[in-house]
Amino acid sequence: MSLQGKRILIAKPGLDGHDVGAKIITLALRDHGADVIYTGIRKSPDYIARTAVDEDVDAVGLSVLSGSHQEMLVATLDQMKAMDAADIKVFIGGTIPPDDHAALVAAGAAGIFTSEMNLEDTIARLEVALA
Amino acid sequence: MTRQELLDRRALARQLSLAGRASVADVLSEADSNFKTEKPAVRIGVTGPPGAGKSTLIARLAASRLQHGERVGVLAIDPTSPLSQGSILGDRIRMDEIADDPNLYIRSMPSRHAHDGMADNITGMLAVLESHNFDNIFLETVGIGQADYSVRTLVDTVILVVVPESGDTVQAMKAGVMEMADVYVVNKADRPGAKRTVTDIQSVLALKENNPGGWRPRVLQTSSEDGDVLLLDQAITDHLNWRRDNVDLLAHRRDQARYNVEMLLNRRVGELLADAEPAQLDRPISDIYADLVGRL
Repeated sequence: MSLQGKRILIAKPGLDGHDVGAKIITLALRDHGADVIYTGIRKSPDYIARTAVDEDVDAVGLSVLSGSHQEMLVATLDQMKAMDAADIKVFIGGTIPPDDHAALVAAGAAGIFTSEMNLEDTIARLEVALA
Repeated sequence: MTRQELLDRRALARQLSLAGRASVADVLSEADSNFKTEKPAVRIGVTGPPGAGKSTLIARLAASRLQHGERVGVLAIDPTSPLSQGSILGDRIRMDEIADDPNLYIRSMPSRHAHDGMADNITGMLAVLESHNFDNIFLETVGIGQADYSVRTLVDTVILVVVPESGDTVQAMKAGVMEMADVYVVNKADRPGAKRTVTDIQSVLALKENNPGGWRPRVLQTSSEDGDVLLLDQAITDHLNWRRDNVDLLAHRRDQARYNVEMLLNRRVGELLADAEPAQLDRPISDIYADLVGRL
């Protein structure tokens, strides 16, 4: 399986500026055939949703290391809905405590990828989710 | 943005994806049912080596045209990895400052099979953009080398962006893209060597034959100063005005047809070669060639 032909937006919402993880994911996705757009740091949920629409992506990956994952996910999903783009899958990754996972899934996260996960597993799960 | 505007944007984004992904067979079956254009957009191609500042310059030129109430579409191409076929599309990150404007649409595309600074089906994608009533379309090429000048065929005005201390580059490019631009820009001109680079380009251009009434390419310097971009914007407008009265549109359309057919053939040949049994390639080149031509 491969991510060839898939368009993926990697986005850093909110105020945290730690984007090594986002960049590693961006490179790994490219190496598995995806076309990846990276937003850079400190983007608003509105900006992320608009970029997802304009770039016609198959999926958005939010990278959050500040603890505000729930707020950022919900705000981004709300914006996507407002733009009639609720069909674009939104994944979330970063430092996310296990206790928070259920709430993220309930809010609409298509998948959760934490910092400690193996990169190959992350890609393999994405390949299945986007197949 | 109104709801209708949002829906239009989504539709445009999806049409561009379809156009970009179309196979050779798809393109051929739909080639003559193209998107309708009410009013052709002005097409401005921006090319130059990697890191010259093409995206940033487009953002500033777009900002100037947006301020006049014009609608601006940007198609920015980044290279596809020959190893994974994936890509990182990083041009729009340089255009953040203007990204909020509802009259602006930016789309990033991978080059896929194209090796000339363009992307697969670039003609189809430009037609899609044009059908959405943009006044201006900026086409940003992949960071290019000396022989990549296909953009010339696809746009009205070509801007070549280089940076100071490009003396050697300028020399190297004098027989390729160096001959193809309408406006030359030495960007990051606050760096040392900018003036020298301007002189280098002017001396290359001076060697060109000068037709009476022909366009005399402009050479400009740009830095982060706003005034520089206004001058560049004016040079583009001047060229577009000159072009309106002087360019042979029929010849230009024929060049485009030639380019489109050539690119489709290139891709088809690529597909056939990729599908060929490895042992087939051990034969004499003339046999492989004849076989391939037969299967086209």
